[in-house]
Amino acid sequence: MAKIQITADHVIVKLPLWRQILSLSTGFTIPLENVRGATMDPGAAGEPKGLRSPGTYIPGVLTLGTFYRDGERTFWDVHNRSRVVVLQLTGERYDRLVLEVENPRTVVEHIEAATRPS
Amino acid sequence: MGRPRSFDENQVIASAITLFASRSYDSVSVDDLVTHLGVHRNSLYKTFGSKRGLYLAALRRHLDQDVRPLTHGEPALEAIEAGRLDLLLFAAVERAPVDEEVAAEVARALTWLDAELGGLLTAAALGRRVRTRAGVSTPALSELAGSPPHPETAT
Repeated sequence: MAKIQITADHVIVKLPLWRQILSLSTGFTIPLENVRGATMDPGAAGEPKGLRSPGTYIPGVLTLGTFYRDGERTFWDVHNRSRVVVLQLTGERYDRLVLEVENPRTVVEHIEAATRPS
Repeated sequence: MGRPRSFDENQVIASAITLFASRSYDSVSVDDLVTHLGVHRNSLYKTFGSKRGLYLAALRRHLDQDVRPLTHGEPALEAIEAGRLDLLLFAAVERAPVDEEVAAEVARALTWLDAELGGLLTAAALGRRVRTRAGVSTPALSELAGSPPHPETAT
C-alpha cells in the first residue's frame, strides 16, 4: 500500500521496500501544479491494464508497476481494489497513478484542498 | 501521443449535468459516470482530470446555459419549479459548504437570480423546490406571498 504525504507544494508517494523492488520504482515526488486531480475509484482496478514494463501482475491479487495503454503510461500499486485513488498528472513521467491507500477519502480531500486555486 | 478523443465532450458534460442533478455527488461513482456518460474511464481522467473536474465543468455549463439566460427575461420561477435548476440547488446544499470553488459558482448564480427575482423570492422558490423534491406539498408561491407570517394573530 502506498503512503501519500501532501506538503505545501508537493504530493509525495512512498512505497514499501518490497514494492519498490518489484516495481523498480522508489516512489514519486510530484509538484502540486502537475496534479490535475484525485478521485476515489474502486472500479478502476477492473480496467484493462495494458502492457507491463516493468512490474508484477497477478490478476485479482496484485497490480504493481508501470503499464502502457493507448499511449499512456500509468503506475499501478493495487492489491485491495476497494481503496483505490487515481491521480491524474501532467508534465510528469506518468500520465496517471492508480494507488491503493489507507484512507482514499482523506487523500482526495487533502489533494483537492491543496490544488485548489486560491 | 494517445488516441484521439472518441467522444463528444459537450454531450458528456450535458449527460453529467443530468446525472449530478438527480443524485448526490458522493453517490455518483466513476463506474456510474463511465456507464451513464458512455465515455471510457481513461478518457474521462485525461479530459477532466478527476470526478470533481467533470463536476465543476458540468456545474459551470449548467450555470451559463440554464441560469444566466434567466436574467434576460426567461421565467426564472418556472425554471426553478420545473426542476431545471436542480444541479444548482444540489450544489448549494451539498458541495458548496465543502468546496470553495463550488461555493463561488453558486454565489455567482444566486446573485443573478436575486437580481432577477429579489432575494426573498429566490429563497422561497428554491426552498419550495426542496419541499417538492421531498414529496411535501407546499402552497403556491403566490399564496405564500399573500399570507401573513403569523396567521393566528391576523384579524
